[in-house]
Amino acid sequence: MSFQNFYVTMFVAILSFSIPFNTSGSDQEENTNSIARKENILYLFNWNHYIAPGTVKRFERSCNCKLSQNYYSDNEEMLAKLAAGATGYDLIVPTGNAVDSLIRQGALKPLNKSLLSNFKNINPTHLNTKFDPGNIYSVPYAYTLTLLGFNQEKMHDLGLPTDTWAIIFEPRYLEKIKGRVTVLDSQRELMAAALRYLSYSANDTNEEHWNQAKERIIRAKPYWAAFSNTSYIRELAVGNLWVAHGYSNDMFQAALDAKRTGRKFTINYSTPKEGGVLALDSIVVHKSGVRTDLAHQFINFMLDGRNSAELTNLIGSGNPNMDAMKFIQPDIIRNNAVFPDKDSLAKLEMLQDFDRNQRRLLSRLWTEIKLR
Amino acid sequence: MRNRNFRLRIVATLVYAFLYIPLVIVVAYSFNNSRLNAEWVGFTLFWYETLFNNKEMLVAARNSLIIALSASILATALGTMAGLAIHRYKLKVLPIIVLSPVATPEILLGVSLLLFFLQVLNLTLGMISIIIAHTTFCIGFVAIIVRSRLQGMDWSIFEAARDLGASPWQCFHLITLPLIMPAVVAGALMSFTLSIDDFVITFFTKGVGEPILPIQIYTMIKTAVTPEVNAISTLLMLLTLAMIIIATKLDSGVLRGEVSR
Amino acid sequence: MRVLFLMIKENTNGNRTAKWLMIGPPLLFLLIFFVVPSLIMIVTSLRYPGEFGGLAPIITPAGKVSDGYGLTLEAYQFLLSNSLYAEIFLKSFGVAAVTTLICLIMSYPLALLITRSEKRFRNLMVLLVVLPLASNFLVRIYAWMIILGPESPLSHLINTILSVLGVAPLTLLFSPFAVLVGMVYVHLPFMVLPLYTNLEKHDPVLLDAAQDLGATSWQRFWKVTWPLSLPGVFAGSALVFIPVLGMFAIPEMLGGTGDILIGNLIKDQFLGTRDWPFGSALSIILTLAVLSIAGLTAWFTRQSGGMKYAE
Repeated sequence: MSFQNFYVTMFVAILSFSIPFNTSGSDQEENTNSIARKENILYLFNWNHYIAPGTVKRFERSCNCKLSQNYYSDNEEMLAKLAAGATGYDLIVPTGNAVDSLIRQGALKPLNKSLLSNFKNINPTHLNTKFDPGNIYSVPYAYTLTLLGFNQEKMHDLGLPTDTWAIIFEPRYLEKIKGRVTVLDSQRELMAAALRYLSYSANDTNEEHWNQAKERIIRAKPYWAAFSNTSYIRELAVGNLWVAHGYSNDMFQAALDAKRTGRKFTINYSTPKEGGVLALDSIVVHKSGVRTDLAHQFINFMLDGRNSAELTNLIGSGNPNMDAMKFIQPDIIRNNAVFPDKDSLAKLEMLQDFDRNQRRLLSRLWTEIKLR
Repeated sequence: MRNRNFRLRIVATLVYAFLYIPLVIVVAYSFNNSRLNAEWVGFTLFWYETLFNNKEMLVAARNSLIIALSASILATALGTMAGLAIHRYKLKVLPIIVLSPVATPEILLGVSLLLFFLQVLNLTLGMISIIIAHTTFCIGFVAIIVRSRLQGMDWSIFEAARDLGASPWQCFHLITLPLIMPAVVAGALMSFTLSIDDFVITFFTKGVGEPILPIQIYTMIKTAVTPEVNAISTLLMLLTLAMIIIATKLDSGVLRGEVSR
Repeated sequence: MRVLFLMIKENTNGNRTAKWLMIGPPLLFLLIFFVVPSLIMIVTSLRYPGEFGGLAPIITPAGKVSDGYGLTLEAYQFLLSNSLYAEIFLKSFGVAAVTTLICLIMSYPLALLITRSEKRFRNLMVLLVVLPLASNFLVRIYAWMIILGPESPLSHLINTILSVLGVAPLTLLFSPFAVLVGMVYVHLPFMVLPLYTNLEKHDPVLLDAAQDLGATSWQRFWKVTWPLSLPGVFAGSALVFIPVLGMFAIPEMLGGTGDILIGNLIKDQFLGTRDWPFGSALSIILTLAVLSIAGLTAWFTRQSGGMKYAE
């Protein structure tokens, strides 16, 4: 009958589709050693595009194992999945506040530092964070800054400043760029920017201060085009947006895209003088992982300056590895928005998690902001 | 009649245009020699080359196809039964249970199934858990469409067959199924496309081992779209088109309520 | 299968067995994989959020104050504490209703044309409606971002016309309009398919008879085709209206600064605020609201006899 034909055809198509995988040499090898393969897989729960493909290949060769990556696009996705009890991940790459949560839930295994001979490469500035004093559970991997990206020429023509949060909060500036601005669709990040602009800490929990920040946001909102977490990269590079509140490695991408496609303008980015947010991503070992040995091997491998530098050269992320500096492209090192100097660094804060009542209150403020 | 069809034809053409203009962009930009895809730069097969060298993506595509096929077969079988049952037997609770998964937000379905799989069934997540999860939300879609096809059907033919001594199974196989076939096929197509495109429920119910296409694409797009994603979308459409055309060539009555054997 | 046959034969009438063979599998499947997980979520809505995400234990751990553990109606109280949430519900139902209506207006002529086309073209025409769904959802939405973007030909065209008319230029992208376009685009096939499978079974003899009785084509449509197609209209409307309510990606990507729908709010509770109880409570209210609308519609059509042609 026709219906069966439909499915038979589909299955045949899929089978033929999968033949190429089984005929390639390496796969056959893997298939014959299926038991060995099962034992030699390291499961990494990571952001997509957060390790250079070449690095993965070299690691797999060096450990004679397979690195299997699972992706998330937001810390919260990963936390929600783990909170429900998902298991099987050897390594995770969470941001500071998520490291904090995972430690306090007792979800992580302490590191065996004796297996991490390259640990000394990490710049002490990024060690001993509030989240993990003594780095018992976490090893810094890379960091990003939350800042402003902008169309250099447009901002110059309009005579607008680019080194202050005022550009996304003050109507007198905003009216010149109405509808050409986006801000992050993240309650924590946007509140942090508004709080810093009001000279409060990004982790301020005073309700009065929150309300002031909310007022600022609601006042500026009519001038913004949208809340955007991803599309601003392309829209900036195309020229549809002139200012975007976003992450440094995304701005790096936008600037690169604009340059490579020969735009008539340049995309630049800088940390506002009022200070902003620094997000430090660390590698941690999940307690449900079985290959603690491979996990340490991987961490130590990534602590090698050459391997660590590859990520920075690929996506423009900040690098906490001192040994990596000599392998990083000089123009990236010179970029103050990727590698902030001491003064800028002092004004950057890492976000801390709020307790449940504060989270609920902030969520209501956010809903109000969105609806008004 | 002719005049009327003429007007219908204009409207239909506009609707098809609405459906296909974005797809033209998707396909065209998969051949565009620009990562940014802001304007047409030049023709290239580079993105397809990149795609075919990206083994993870191809394995993900294969996994997703297997999941979509299995889930749509299961959902179509169960959904058809549910649709028939709702129509034949005025059981009050069944429509509620069938409609609820459709009315439940994806995230809730994903989280609740994850909790259920892990904490009640103690199941290891993998392809099976994704197939079950997709089946759960597709059943309702199939049931609704089958039920709507059944409404207003003439049951006298069915009763006549029973009077002539046909067993319920014969009745179903020889009379009911052919009558509802277009709805069954439509339900299967819907389930297939719902499954192959689902990010939220897949994210929550997937295990650690296997790459799945919507996850790859979604997390990839979070760090800007590359035309590689356009390329894989184009290929998926081609593949689906080819499979359906071959299948319907084998029997062209599939969507018309006629059955050939 | 042989066993099933025997079961049917043994039963003199086969009715009861047939009934449970038909009801059993889907009911059992959904009881296990939907009803039980839903019960978990109902309990979830009555719990406290965990301090660091997830859920707080129901039983107070030793050495802790009992505050924040156990069961509570707090999530529901929070929902009622502010009119914001009711506002979002209403707004979302409005968007869903408008989307459904537009889908219906666009789909009906198309479905009608397909049924009136030559048989050999019908498969292809239906296929062409479904095919867009085979490409990735996000990729399609990104294509719309390109079409509606401020520098796109469409935007230029519309704004040129508007400037001739002396109206201020419009931005298409990041607006409620863009959200609506996205919603309609993604859900259109779910309206066309049920309409087509319904219209396809209509007996052309009825239309011929009406014509013989002197009915104009307009009358034939409203007196014959439309009433007969109502089950298809309801099915299609359900398949558009309900999924639109849970949708969060379209408002997120195409919407402006004010386009928050109930789907976004629920997503935020699980993937933002780590407030599973409140997210569950919102979802449960949404599901109940949808089910009551469906129930009311069914009841109303039965009462008003709207289905008398169909039944």
